[in-house]
Amino acid sequence: MPGGVVIGLSRLNRVLDIDIPNRRVTVEPGVTNLEITRRVAPYGYYYAPDPSSQQVCSIGGNVAENSGGAHCLKYGFTTHHVLALDAVMPDGELVHLDSAIAGATGPDLVGLIVGSEGTLAVVTRAVVRILRRPESVRTLLAAFDSISGAGAAVSEVIAAGIIPAAVEMMDALAIKAAEAAVRPGFPAADAVLIVELDGPEPEVAELFPLAERICRRTGAASIEIAASDEQRARIWKGRKAAFAAMGHVSPNYYVQDGVVPRTKLPDVLARIRQLEARCGLRIANVFHAGDGNLHPLICYDEKVPGQADRAVEAAGEILSYCVEAGGSITGEHGVGMDKREFMPKMFTDDDLDMMERVRDAIDPRHLCNPGKVFPTPRLCGEVPGPYREHPTERAGLAERF
Amino acid sequence: MSVPTETLLQAPILAGALVRSGKDADRIDGVRPRLVVEPRTAEEVAALLAWASRERLTLVLRGGGTKLGWGRVPAPIDLLVSMRGLNRMLAHEHADLTATVEAGATLEELNASLGRHRQWLPLDPAGDEATVGGAIATNDTGPLRHRYGTPRDLLIGVRLATTDGRLVKAGGNVVKNVAVYDLGKLVSGSFGSLAAIVGATFKLLPVPASSQTLSATFQDRDRAAAAVARLTESQLEPAAVELQAAHDRGRGTMAYRLLARFATSPAAAAAQVEQARALVGGGEAIMGDAEVALWRRYQRRASASAGTVLRMSWLPAALPQVLALVEEVGRTDGSVELVARAGVGTGLLRVDGASDWQAATVERVRARAEIVTYATIQDAPPEVKTKVDAWGPPGAADTVASAIKRALDPAGILNAGRGPV
Repeated sequence: MPGGVVIGLSRLNRVLDIDIPNRRVTVEPGVTNLEITRRVAPYGYYYAPDPSSQQVCSIGGNVAENSGGAHCLKYGFTTHHVLALDAVMPDGELVHLDSAIAGATGPDLVGLIVGSEGTLAVVTRAVVRILRRPESVRTLLAAFDSISGAGAAVSEVIAAGIIPAAVEMMDALAIKAAEAAVRPGFPAADAVLIVELDGPEPEVAELFPLAERICRRTGAASIEIAASDEQRARIWKGRKAAFAAMGHVSPNYYVQDGVVPRTKLPDVLARIRQLEARCGLRIANVFHAGDGNLHPLICYDEKVPGQADRAVEAAGEILSYCVEAGGSITGEHGVGMDKREFMPKMFTDDDLDMMERVRDAIDPRHLCNPGKVFPTPRLCGEVPGPYREHPTERAGLAERF
Repeated sequence: MSVPTETLLQAPILAGALVRSGKDADRIDGVRPRLVVEPRTAEEVAALLAWASRERLTLVLRGGGTKLGWGRVPAPIDLLVSMRGLNRMLAHEHADLTATVEAGATLEELNASLGRHRQWLPLDPAGDEATVGGAIATNDTGPLRHRYGTPRDLLIGVRLATTDGRLVKAGGNVVKNVAVYDLGKLVSGSFGSLAAIVGATFKLLPVPASSQTLSATFQDRDRAAAAVARLTESQLEPAAVELQAAHDRGRGTMAYRLLARFATSPAAAAAQVEQARALVGGGEAIMGDAEVALWRRYQRRASASAGTVLRMSWLPAALPQVLALVEEVGRTDGSVELVARAGVGTGLLRVDGASDWQAATVERVRARAEIVTYATIQDAPPEVKTKVDAWGPPGAADTVASAIKRALDPAGILNAGRGPV
């Protein structure tokens, strides 16, 4: 947005209150996601939403995007964990808003602002819920010789009435990249599945062997069960490093974020495979298999003329597959500018008009994050397209997650 | 109001509609609606809203009619729109753990259908006739709130009829979705004052294989609160933690009953009840039909009242102070009883006595804002509601909510002034 003003919130980075008896923490928006867990861990608590970028991403950003993470199938997203917000509204008023989960009555404005991508208010403080650490956590890593075999395991686990804390899947290229980057010791396979159960010890003791048996029955070639916290951390390191690891197998890559109903995953992945063959670019897949959120990573080389454009096209096509399968164009990365043009694939003009009326009621002059989310003609000065490295990244000072 | 009811009935839009004059049984706080309409489709709801908006007819939406005591005494009501005609189950994607249903279906009907695949929507607001739309509009909850959250937490998509006659959706059919605004959250707790909820998509959960409830009684308020704290600080994962505080007429003191429900795999439910019993220092494990009956009785008791039912919220650790406050107001002229979601910090206070005393009790509780953060009237005789506002003092949120109300309901017809916006 040429001529716009950027309000940087990274200096609002204080943890203001840790209230263990009431299981809540008050933070400023610049505090990182992981910092909350770090501060409450000594008391046996943690903050549940855990995006892969949790070491560096801020709570303000999490609130703006309604961030999820690997454990959101069971524990929900940021919106399920924000009890209250202090926010500067577009008219300059600083207001305190309690969410419905904090007992407020009336329309749930906190729920509206969470995930609004900064288009409704500037959040200056958040009160978040913390949870008691589960008594038991058990994690397995199963290798499959096909994505559909791994998909069948997920379906059967859920049909057995088990809601795992996390179910993550990676395909061969993503496994290879993760191995090259952080050496988590993943088996060479067409797909690996990470299944994690947590909860009271008797519950996990009863259900975890059942999940393990299901993986064997659906064709797991090998199963590794984490015997220690270190082993579990290693498995998760492999998964959470997957995006950044793509740099080890490709000069450039484009991260897509789409959602499909979980049972449609095999169909959509088959279409992505066909697309891969057609566009001549390799596509790695990392996804939250429990909730159908896929993150295709489209590999390209910007030095090869035409490849970057083909990556953008391929990424867009994948979103069409998601919408056609009854899903969404974004599960956790948001609409921003890149996906505005896809909004009409998911929503009718009436749907969008209703949302814009809500926006106009709160921010009639469109001061907050103008040009984002809603489809509008492209403005000059915009540079949409594939990911470009930040100068600090090129210099090796920062790492992309 | 100037248009006679007979003329209204002749309106072309009502031709062929299920419509009749309001009866005494349709009254809300003594106000009898002029017409009762029961649309059969979402399109009909949208058309009704557009017509009412154009003609400036006040309109109240009714689901099962279980929560109509909530809110202010209404202005004259032109149209009462019953949503019970929209009660179809539209989709149950059991392998995806999602379901889409019309707003007028009752939670009981929905869960009976989902149960065929051993799944459920774990919402248990009071009232057997409570509908999906009503549960969302009030964001009402029951004891299961402890584990499963409120309706807004399980809602993943919503379909709305707007006052300009359109049908719009927000969210979708997938559990994870951050595309544009979550209007499902906006209408949660809106009490039908922004738009009409005509359909909803929820994420579901498997029905727990087993359930057991620990019941323990206490004569001492601090011991009761300490037992709750020990449970919530533990790593046990109860589905419900309820504390009931009632005046024991025989002894002339308060009596406390703690109910902790564990709903999970069989061995885990049994093991957790035993652990809970050790933590709270005793109690009886209840299971099977007796457990089902216990919770049904408990739920009915919570919502049935001739007096005022006050819905309160507090910080979980303030429970001892809340119990002390209940005991303090109970020592005055009438009788009080608290049903508390003790782990969460919310609950219902039944206040029975002379109407002046009921109103005074509401004010007495609200005056203690350092303990009770929200106190709204969920049910009360109209004479109480004319003395104290049903929603309590307006906060910063009201300015923002009012701006949204003006944008979505410019004629100001929805919910006939009952609030909250």
